[in-house]
Amino acid sequence: MADLTNEPTVASASNNPLSRKLNKILETRLDSDKELLEALKALSNFFTENSLRNRRNLRSDIEKRSLAINEEFLEAFQVVKEQLDGVYSDVQAMNECCQDMANRLKAAKANTHHLISQTTSLHNESQKLQVKEQVAHAFLDKFQLKPEEVKILRGTRDGALQPEFFKALARVKQIHSDCKILLRTNHQTAGLEIMESMALHQESAYERLYRWTQNQCRLVTQDTPDVSPLLCQAMEALQDRPVLLNAVVRGFKRNAPFLTRGGPNGTPRPIELHSHDPLRYVGDMLAWLHQTSASEKEYLQSLLKNCSATSFQMDEVLGHITEGVCTPFKVRVEQVLVSEQDPVILYKLDNLLKFYHHTISQIIIPDAALMVTVAEIQDLSHRMFFNSLTGHANKLLDKVELPPSDLGATASLTQTLQLLRDVLACHDASVVPVDDKRQDYKQILACVIDPLLQMCSMSASRLSAVDMAAYMVNCIHMMNSTLALYEFTDTRLEMLNAQTDAHVDTLVSEQATYILNRVGLAQMYGILQQHRIDHGALSSVPGLDELAIKSAVNKFDSYLAQPDSLTLPQCNVILSASIREITKKRSVELVCEAYTQIYKAIMNPSNGYKDGPGIVPRTPEQVVHLLM
Amino acid sequence: MAAGPYNYSYIFKYIIIGDMGVGKSCLLHQFTEKKFMADCPHTIGVEFGTRIIEVASQKIKLQIWDTAGQERFRAVTRSYYRGAAGALMVYDITRRSTYNHLSSWLTDARNLTNPNTVIFLIGNKCDLDAQRDVTYEEAKQFAEENGLMFLECSAKTGENVEDAFLDTAKKIYQNIQDGSLDLNAAESGVQHKPATPRSPINTDQPQNKEGCAC
Repeated sequence: MADLTNEPTVASASNNPLSRKLNKILETRLDSDKELLEALKALSNFFTENSLRNRRNLRSDIEKRSLAINEEFLEAFQVVKEQLDGVYSDVQAMNECCQDMANRLKAAKANTHHLISQTTSLHNESQKLQVKEQVAHAFLDKFQLKPEEVKILRGTRDGALQPEFFKALARVKQIHSDCKILLRTNHQTAGLEIMESMALHQESAYERLYRWTQNQCRLVTQDTPDVSPLLCQAMEALQDRPVLLNAVVRGFKRNAPFLTRGGPNGTPRPIELHSHDPLRYVGDMLAWLHQTSASEKEYLQSLLKNCSATSFQMDEVLGHITEGVCTPFKVRVEQVLVSEQDPVILYKLDNLLKFYHHTISQIIIPDAALMVTVAEIQDLSHRMFFNSLTGHANKLLDKVELPPSDLGATASLTQTLQLLRDVLACHDASVVPVDDKRQDYKQILACVIDPLLQMCSMSASRLSAVDMAAYMVNCIHMMNSTLALYEFTDTRLEMLNAQTDAHVDTLVSEQATYILNRVGLAQMYGILQQHRIDHGALSSVPGLDELAIKSAVNKFDSYLAQPDSLTLPQCNVILSASIREITKKRSVELVCEAYTQIYKAIMNPSNGYKDGPGIVPRTPEQVVHLLM
Repeated sequence: MAAGPYNYSYIFKYIIIGDMGVGKSCLLHQFTEKKFMADCPHTIGVEFGTRIIEVASQKIKLQIWDTAGQERFRAVTRSYYRGAAGALMVYDITRRSTYNHLSSWLTDARNLTNPNTVIFLIGNKCDLDAQRDVTYEEAKQFAEENGLMFLECSAKTGENVEDAFLDTAKKIYQNIQDGSLDLNAAESGVQHKPATPRSPINTDQPQNKEGCAC
């Protein structure tokens, strides 16, 4: 420990290890060295007595104590060690255990791997199947009928039809059309099969529908005014099968009970009871047809209100419905027409038929059987009418009457004209369009007037020219005055007037000649007209000497005093005052003309008459003044 | 079948008669279209219109035949009286001549329709009161003497037009209910559909029909 020998050399103390050590000891601060303090404290526990023995034994004591402590320590650690060993072995065991478990798990895992993959695949498969199932369900929903739908389509035994039927039918139709999409994809087989089965369903359903509808129609058309909506629906559905629809709709044809059935207590009486009155009979039938057609059309409209007009020609159907009445109607009217002789009645019937043809054609199309029938009958009536007229005219020509002594109209002419008046008068009460009227008039006039004229000419054939002219003028005048009252006779009237003019010309020249003959101027006038200057003076021509002329002029003077005395009797019997006047005036004009020429010739000095004014005292102006 | 709602239960046939120019076509037009037709042309022969009305909660379809008043059509229009359930006889209150001709129209109507036909006298143009030529009382008396129903109407303003047509229908319906109008007779002018009972007594009959219809 402390080496006291190094103390003196302080200078070298720092280099001297001993001094260094000493220094170190000196510098040691005991109170700050805890370890030392602790050690000292511990030492104080057992070193209670500072004795030599003790000091000598200190070391061994300390060592002994240290040994004891170490032994103690060892003992204690022994226990710890043992315990740790225990723990260790436990952990070991655990480790083994875990190892084992791990191994076993590994093995198990290895074993179940296959199972798991199998399960997974199965699971996937099941999912796929589920999807497929859904698809299949959807497919079936879309492309198959439900059992109850099939049942509805098949129907019950009594054949009744539920409203659901149409829904089912619509579905069948929908499926059928949807199949076309299938055909476009690669599901053609399925598509075809479904289509086929749907087609079968459809066919049988339509057939059922057809039967039912037909039955309904039969029941419904008897007396019922209206149609059930179900029937309308049926009609609508049947639109897809125009053939069936046509068959159904054509199924109801009306008969003609109207003819024999009257009202209650017999008023009004049945139409057929009026068959003695052709106009009423035919008119009533036609009116009935008109009213019935209108009602039928309404009925049909309500029946087919759901059907589009394009797919279904209602007019055509209406034509078919009314077909049934054609024959009974035709037979009856034909009978009437054939047994009717009176042209007036026939013409009235003709007009009536024409009117109704027009009226009913507003409801029914022209090529429908009924309209064709009415047109045929109308045509027949037309022909019958003209037959009758022609027959009448032929009779006239067969038995030509001689003209009466007064050269007036014969009885047959008067009668025929009366008939013509009656016929033409029908038109005033009739209702046919103006064009028809014009055409009819033309034909009627041709049918009556031409034979009449012919008859008149024939009856006049044995008369003298003057008689004939007067007679013809009279006859034509009668016709003229009859026709003048009616429209569309202008051309006829013109023709008749021309004929009258021709006959009047004859009368005029005859009358003038007669007057000149009677006064003796005719011959002179004739010579005068043929005379030319180079023949020499007129006074030297035989018959034209002053004396002869003077006596003729004297006679002419007496005529001038009494002009009517020389009028032809034929001119007096002319019925028309105006024609009579014209004839007179024109003949007088001719006479004046002749006189003027004679007067001029005589006054002409070159003709060698010495006393011109003495021979012809009156100037032509005076003559004209007297005569006119 | 019975469940289906029918549009109407009866069809009544009407005829409108009267002198030319009294406004027959205008009445019809006013009734069916609810409009006044100015410058209405002369009717050629006959024309017709329909309308569905309701009487005693029964739907009734009126089928109305409008005849021409012109004399030349008389022969034609006479054929249309047959089977009319109602006849509307129209005169013009401003023209006495049309009133004076009523008796001839009435004779026609009586002779050509059935005894149950309801005849309704209509004095038209009552909007022209200033030009009135026939008094209401006079016409009313004529109607009473002849057992006719009577109203004055105006096709122009529509006054009473509806009533004239409806009252006629009510009367006809009443006749059916009374049993005085036999629907089974032809020419009764009434058509009936069998699915609805026409009267309590007859109920079984339509049901039978219905049974066989199904």
